[in-house]
Amino acid sequence: MLARVANNLFWMGRYIERSEHVARYLNVNYFSSLDAPHQLSQSRQFVLRSMLYMVGLSDGDESEELDEAKVLYKIGMDPQSEFSILNNVKYARENANSARDLISTELYEAINKFYHFVFNYDSNIYMKNGLHDFTTNITEMSAILRGKMRGTLLHDEIYAIIMMGVNIERATQITRIINAKHHDALKAQGSYGDKFSNSYEWTTLLKCAESYDMMRRFYKKTPNSISTLEFLILNPNCPRSVMNSLNQVYKHIRLLDPSKRYNKNSTAFLVGRVRAEYQYKYIREIEEDIQYFIKSILDSLSEISEKMENEFFNY
Amino acid sequence: MGKIQNQIFSSYQRNPILYDEIFDKQGTIKEVYSRLFELYGGHTIKEYVKLNEKAKSSFFNQGITFQVYNEKETMEKIFPFDLFPRIIDQEEWDIIERGAVQRSRALNLFLWDIYHDKKIIKQGIVPLELISSSENYLDQMVGLDPPGGIYNHISGTDIIKHNDGKYYVLEDNIRCPSGVSYVICNRTALKRALFGVFNHYKTHAVTNYAENLLDLLETVKPQGVDLPNVVVLTPGMYNSAFYEHSYLAKTMGVELVEGRDLFVENDFVYMRTIRGPEKVDIIYRRVDDGFIDPLEFRADSALGVPGLFAAYKKGNVTLANAPGTGVADDKAIYTYMPEIIKYYLDEEPILNNVHTYHCSRPDELQYVLEHIPELVIKPVDEAGGYGISIGNRLSKSEIEEVKSQLKSSPRKYVAQPIMSLSVHPTYIDETESFEQRHVDLRTFTVLGQDRDFVLKGGLTRVALKRGNLIVNSSQGGGSKDTWVLKK
Repeated sequence: MLARVANNLFWMGRYIERSEHVARYLNVNYFSSLDAPHQLSQSRQFVLRSMLYMVGLSDGDESEELDEAKVLYKIGMDPQSEFSILNNVKYARENANSARDLISTELYEAINKFYHFVFNYDSNIYMKNGLHDFTTNITEMSAILRGKMRGTLLHDEIYAIIMMGVNIERATQITRIINAKHHDALKAQGSYGDKFSNSYEWTTLLKCAESYDMMRRFYKKTPNSISTLEFLILNPNCPRSVMNSLNQVYKHIRLLDPSKRYNKNSTAFLVGRVRAEYQYKYIREIEEDIQYFIKSILDSLSEISEKMENEFFNY
Repeated sequence: MGKIQNQIFSSYQRNPILYDEIFDKQGTIKEVYSRLFELYGGHTIKEYVKLNEKAKSSFFNQGITFQVYNEKETMEKIFPFDLFPRIIDQEEWDIIERGAVQRSRALNLFLWDIYHDKKIIKQGIVPLELISSSENYLDQMVGLDPPGGIYNHISGTDIIKHNDGKYYVLEDNIRCPSGVSYVICNRTALKRALFGVFNHYKTHAVTNYAENLLDLLETVKPQGVDLPNVVVLTPGMYNSAFYEHSYLAKTMGVELVEGRDLFVENDFVYMRTIRGPEKVDIIYRRVDDGFIDPLEFRADSALGVPGLFAAYKKGNVTLANAPGTGVADDKAIYTYMPEIIKYYLDEEPILNNVHTYHCSRPDELQYVLEHIPELVIKPVDEAGGYGISIGNRLSKSEIEEVKSQLKSSPRKYVAQPIMSLSVHPTYIDETESFEQRHVDLRTFTVLGQDRDFVLKGGLTRVALKRGNLIVNSSQGGGSKDTWVLKK
C-alpha cells in the first residue's frame, strides 16, 4: 500500500469517528439539559459553554452572553471553522476519495451519501429546530460506516490502518468528553447542594458515550464519579472505553507489524507500553488527579499518532 | 414532421432530413428497437421523470461526478445520462469492431515507422512537414523500441453515422482517451432504474474491460520481468477524470499512484509504500506527455516523476500509451488514414474517413475559402471540441474572421464537409419529453503484443442542446448506455 494513501486512510478513520463524537455531544447535552434537575445545568448558557469547551474552543468570559444559533452553527455547519462537523465530514470524504481504489464501493458510497447529507442540510433549519435530526443522522450514518468497514473490507493492513485511526480518535474524543463533563461537574458543584461525586453530569457523560444503559447493567447503581470514570476509562468490555480503544489499537498495530522482535523504536512497542500502563491501574489513582490523567493520555495518543507517521507514512 | 403513436413518444418530432437511429424514413420503428419501444411506451411521462431522478441520484451516490470551476466555488456535477439506450446489432458492430482494430494497428505501425526508418515519408505518401512541424512529435522517442512494440495500447475512436446510414470515423484518440468508466456506469445506472428491459435483449456485458486491459498490458512488460507490477498514474483527485482513474485501478486490482508516490533510482521506478520502496514495471499513465518527467519534458511539471523517461529509455518500465503518440492522432494525420492503412496493412479501410481539405495546400485552401458555409473548420491540435467553427452557423463577419485566420496560419486548420450526425430519441428535462438529439460513439480498443480487444459497447455521447453537433462533455454533452447485441 502506498504510504500517502495509508496516511489518508488513517485520517479518514479519524475524521469519521470525530464527527460522530461531536454530534453526539451536541445532541446529548442539549437535550438532557432541557429537564436537568437543577438550575445551572438546565441553563442554556451552561450547555453552550460545555459544547465549546469540548471541541477545544474558548468558552468565553462567563459574563458574556452566548448566542445559541451562533454556537450551534460554529460547531455543526460552519464551513469557516476548522473543527465543524461539516468540515470533518468533508475531510473524511476527501481522504476517502484519494483511496477510492482501495476501499470497497459499498464503503465509498456510504461515505459519499454521508457527505451529501451533511452538505445539503439547510443550516437555518439546523439552527432553528433541526439539531436533533441532524445529529441523530450523523450518529446513525457513522454507525453504518463502521459496519461497512467491518463488513465489506478485507481485514488486511488497509483495514488495520483505518481501525488505528478510528480507535486513536475514539480514545481521544472520549477523553475530551470526560474532561468537558468533569469540568461541568465541578462548575455545577454546590448549586442546590449537588455533590460532585453524585452529579447529574455523570449520567450525561455516560449518555454522551452511548454507554449509560450498559453501565447501569454492570454496576446496578446510580452513576457516581468513581463508577463512571472506571467504566469509561478502564473497563475493557465497554466498547467506548479508553481501555478498549487502546486494546483495539494494539490489535491492529500487531497486524501491521507482527514482528516479535524487541524494537523499542517501533509504534507497536509504544502502543504496548501505553496499553500496559492503563491495564493495571486503579481508578482511585486516576480520579485523584484527573487533569494529570487527561494530559498524559492525550500526550500518549498523539505520540502514537506521530510515531505511526514516521514509521509508515513518511514519504 | 411525422407523429408517433406511443404514449411517451406522443410529442416526438421527427425531422425527415436527419437520420433517426430508431425510426426509418416512413416513421416506422426499426425492428431491433420495436420491443424496447413497446416497453418504454408502457410508462407514463410521470413515471419516467421519477426513474430519471433515481438514475441521477445513483450517479451522485456513487460519486461519479466531475468538478466545474467558476470564480466563486467548485461545484460537483454529474455527466448527464439518458435512460433510453442505443442499440447496435451484431452486423453493424462487426464492421465497427474490425474497423477500430484496423485503424489502431495501422496507427501503431505508423508510429513505429516515423520514430524509426520513416519509410512512409521517404516514399512520399505522408509529407515530412506534417511530422516535423508537429508539436507532438517527440525527438526523444526516435530510435526507441517500446516494450512489445506497442505505442498506442489504448485507443478511443470517435465514430458517427452520417445521413447516408454509413459509419465514419471523426477522430482517433491515442494519447489518454477517457470515458470508458462511463460506459460501465451507464450500464449500472440503467440496470438499477429499468432492470426489466434487459430480459428482452441479449446484450454483451461491458464489465470485462478492466480484466482485458490488465491482461493486455501484462503482455508488454519490460524484458526480464516475470510478474509485472502494474500501476495507474493519475494527476490527482482534482483531475476531472479522477473517478475513471480510480475505477480502473480498483477493477484491475492495482495501485493508483500520483507522481509524488514514485521515484527513480538507477533507472528503475519504485513506489513509496508503507513497507518501503516497491518496483514498478508497467505504468498506465493518465498524465500527458509534457508532464510525465520534469527532467526530460516540461520542467515545471509537478505531476511527473524525475528520471522516468530515462528508465523508459533503458527498457526498465513500460509506459502506456507510449510518449509521442500524439503525433498520430493529430487531425492533419487523420486525413491520411486511408493511405496509412493501405501502406502498412495492404487493406482497404473498413470504416470511412470524412473527406478532409488541408489548408496547408494552396489549392485546397482556395476551395475552403470559397466554400466556408458548407464546411466545418477545425484547428489541427485542439481537443475537447474547442475552436471548431461550423460554416452554416457563422454570420458574415464571422466568416470573414475565419477567412483571415485561415490565411494567416493555414497549417493550423483543416476543413471537412458538414457531417450530419445521426439522431436518437433523448429525454429532455425542460420539456419532459423525448426529442431528437445528435449522437456519436466512442469505442475503446486495447492492443497487446499479439492480441487485441475492443469493448463491446462504447460511449454514445449526446449533444443535449437542440441542433448542436458537438457532443463533448465539456460542451454540455450527455451520454447513453450502448447495447451491442449478441448473435
